[in-house]
Amino acid sequence: MPQPARSLAITFISAATLSFEILLVRIFAIEHFYHFAYMSVGVAMLGFGVAGTGLAVWSRFNPTSTQRLFVWSSGLTAVALILTPAFVHEISVDPTQLLWDPGQWPALGLMYLLLALPFCLGALTVLSALTMAERPGYTYGAAFLGPGLGATVCIASLWLITPESALALPAVLAALGFMMAVMAGTTTRSAMAPPGITIAVSVLILLTAPWQLTVSPYKALPQVEAYPAAQRMMERSSPLGWTVAVETPAFRFAPGLSLAFGGTVPSQTAVFVDGALAGAVPSSPHNPAESEFLNWLPTSLPYAMGLPQHVLVVGSAAGTETRNALAHAVPRITAIELNPDLVALSRTDALVRAEREGRLDWVIGDARSYLSRTRRTFDLIVLPPAGSFGTSAAGVHGLAEDFLHTSDAYSQYLRRLSSTGTLAITRWTSLPLRQTIRVILTAVEALRRVEPQAVENGLVVARSWGTATVLVKPAGFTVGEIERLRDWAGERLFDLDWHPGLNDPATKYNYLEEPTPYLAAAAAVRGKATSELFAASYSFDVAPVGDAQPYPHHFLRLGSLASLLGSDRGSWLPFAEWGQIALVATLAQSVLLAALLMLLPAAFTFRSGHGGGWIRLSLYFGAIGLAYLSAEIAAIQQLSLLLGHPVYAVSLVLTAVLVCSGFGSIYSDRVAVPNTGKTNLALMVLLAALGLGLLNVVHLLQPFPLAVRMVAAGVAIAPAAFLMGLPFPLGLRSLADDGRSGIAWAWAANGFAAAVAAPLAALIALELGSPMLFFIAAAGYGTAALATRGNPATREA
Amino acid sequence: MSLSLRHLLIGPTILIWAMPLQGQDRATALNQERRQSMVDLIERRGVTDSVTLAAMRVVPRHDFVPANQADRAYGDHPLPIGHGQTISQPYIVAYMTEILEPQPGMKVLEIGTGSGYQAAVLAEIGCDVHTIEIFEVLATSARRRLDRLGFPVTSRHADGHFGWPEVAPFDAVIVTAAAGFIPPALVQQLKPGGRMVIPVGSVYGVQNLILIEKDAEGTIKTRNLLPVRFVPMLSGIR
Repeated sequence: MPQPARSLAITFISAATLSFEILLVRIFAIEHFYHFAYMSVGVAMLGFGVAGTGLAVWSRFNPTSTQRLFVWSSGLTAVALILTPAFVHEISVDPTQLLWDPGQWPALGLMYLLLALPFCLGALTVLSALTMAERPGYTYGAAFLGPGLGATVCIASLWLITPESALALPAVLAALGFMMAVMAGTTTRSAMAPPGITIAVSVLILLTAPWQLTVSPYKALPQVEAYPAAQRMMERSSPLGWTVAVETPAFRFAPGLSLAFGGTVPSQTAVFVDGALAGAVPSSPHNPAESEFLNWLPTSLPYAMGLPQHVLVVGSAAGTETRNALAHAVPRITAIELNPDLVALSRTDALVRAEREGRLDWVIGDARSYLSRTRRTFDLIVLPPAGSFGTSAAGVHGLAEDFLHTSDAYSQYLRRLSSTGTLAITRWTSLPLRQTIRVILTAVEALRRVEPQAVENGLVVARSWGTATVLVKPAGFTVGEIERLRDWAGERLFDLDWHPGLNDPATKYNYLEEPTPYLAAAAAVRGKATSELFAASYSFDVAPVGDAQPYPHHFLRLGSLASLLGSDRGSWLPFAEWGQIALVATLAQSVLLAALLMLLPAAFTFRSGHGGGWIRLSLYFGAIGLAYLSAEIAAIQQLSLLLGHPVYAVSLVLTAVLVCSGFGSIYSDRVAVPNTGKTNLALMVLLAALGLGLLNVVHLLQPFPLAVRMVAAGVAIAPAAFLMGLPFPLGLRSLADDGRSGIAWAWAANGFAAAVAAPLAALIALELGSPMLFFIAAAGYGTAALATRGNPATREA
Repeated sequence: MSLSLRHLLIGPTILIWAMPLQGQDRATALNQERRQSMVDLIERRGVTDSVTLAAMRVVPRHDFVPANQADRAYGDHPLPIGHGQTISQPYIVAYMTEILEPQPGMKVLEIGTGSGYQAAVLAEIGCDVHTIEIFEVLATSARRRLDRLGFPVTSRHADGHFGWPEVAPFDAVIVTAAAGFIPPALVQQLKPGGRMVIPVGSVYGVQNLILIEKDAEGTIKTRNLLPVRFVPMLSGIR
């Protein structure tokens, strides 16, 4: 069988499965919420594990049957990639009901298994090729290079077509792989007919794009589109998000609008990213009422102190706060937004005019990187409330990394303020209060870090019926400024929960069960120890988070879950921290399915006499599976900060790690089996070093342009990624030398560990931070090194 | 013998005639029983206002849900009524009604008529109910339903954000549709001493239930009551 055709087949098939995985991440993010990304990684890993298991129990191996399996599985991969999206769309699942409706579990399980099918078939193709290969490193290398190609093609395609259209791409790639697999075994024309038909069908699907996105009714887009006379005005797609604009007379966006406002809220166009509300743009370009309306939003509070000369808006989204700065006659405004489609949408006539006049600069990119490289200082830095109240309150963003609300980020903002500058952060106040409290504690911690002597006089907290605005001023608020803030807030029925000189709660308009914002601010200002004590005694985790653990919207303490459920407010939990509960459900399902699929072949293997080395084999391949995924997820998380968006980080890390691992696997053929332990030990050291230092490197590289940062990120992870490609083929040669069932076992153990590792790594990152994930990966390779000890094949001659 | 034959003929005839009536009675009794259980559950969950509970024991909730959902009408959950809208969970209806401290003769503005159930509960208490619905189809069907069942409610099809200035001010305002913000017009149309209850947030998912009180001097205070969860019960959720 010609080796190049077989390797090409593996490259295409693995490219297809990885691009399908990335597309699932995008589609789950749009249709549901971000935390289902881990489900797509989980189903992929489950599919791989099932393939290994399948071969472990299938004892009738011979060259003919293996060749047949290779061709059939490649063809079925293409067919599965064509059919799975259609079948999955027929399954009705409401993942938010998992805790209440047991009927959701079988449906979710069926969806899980259906989605795992293409991955399983793809892995069978690779596995059958591996069992036929004389040089497994070469074949395994092709299986790594393919995903690198798949990631690149997939991300590139998302700039051109919508994610649901792109769903046909994996099928096209797999059909090409099928063609190569057939070519590797035969040259007859009749044999080319099935792959030809598969290619034709998949191309037809790519051209006709028959799939539709079904956005969860919990998201704002379908809710607003249900309003009378709703009309979708615009739709754009990029890897950064699916942006949609909807116009309907019934829509209004006014976060925290004063109840004393006597005017009319102007008509607006709603703007959504991935189905979630991102803000609103005025429908009418010349509406004098807008300026008046904006002055009654809580985000206008800092303007009550006086006119800032230069304002920076971080995360301009649909441009409400940029227009607010213009409405307040600010002479110079810099607006940062990562998503260019949002900028294009928000550029109303007034904003374009301001650009022409030199009053407004747009920065399309990442705020943290911009602040690292700019030498400018600002009189006011504004962080507006994101999206709508509903998603904020439900905790659906709990698992999303957000580097704009960490203590490191707040410190960076404070350092870019002019000598009398102010930082203004507005957030929704969801019940029980969590977000507001964390912002207060984080702001004070950052202030203590940057200007310790300013803590006592540098904090103001204002609150409307639904939002809280935290002002931080390193120069300290003057008595006059506090008076002006108090008057402005009072006129609008907003409470000043905290300001310098306040000794008792002073709620006058918006009552809570307890004056928690006051208590939090008082504890934070008093000192670091009292702040920590306050956070520790709070029902939810409200302690400030840093860049190493960038989950500022995650509040549930796993340790206190039982006591919270037992208390009167236990009923709040399911909708207070929905994201984490979905992740735990994913983990439970992964463990259950993966364990079943491991235990079954274990019993078979034991009976058929292959059981002797299975513990060592399982330990080795399980450890490297867990380690590989942990290192990959840790790298994605830390490089998200460097590259400014998780999509950039995911595509770069997957491409770099998989391509470098591919080269590592190819190189492994030259590495002697006795060096297996040393290779794993080297990886252990390298990953521990990344855990200790990568985040510092990220901070150092932040000021550089994106292209430089991308290259630097690739270089930073390449050595470890190269080495990460070695343990699997080396392990196959050293440990799985008892025949093909050993190879299959290796895959099953590796797939099981990886399937469990995907949601587990996310939970670890959430609870302990990404450096810990690197240390766990290091420990995994250390364990693998230990597993090779005492093995006769790895002893040096 | 002939008497027996007559009896034999008359007996089944009476039975045939009576069967639907018996079925109707049985259904009525069953609905009443379910309604009592529903209100008992609401009471156990902490709603104590006797006026509210009494009204909810009377209003036939099964007449306010689509026919295919009638069996589920008395479960403590929301139900779909079409156009992506729901009839609220009975507990939330009771809780929001209690918060208003309703009394006979109070002029109440409801935003979001939906199927008309909340308006019927308030009307049963004796309130002078004015209700606004933005979906014309729902407004029309609710109007017909309320008329048919004999609940004296004034309704209109309009955008509730602007309230009903022609008949303002109101003793109480109840917003049964989730809003992204509190419409100032509704606060302005509240009488001094009036109360308004509004869920703020997305239609489905999580909302904060907020009470707004205007005291005798016209000073406004808000109170965050509790987070509430509104779950869509639509087919084909993915």
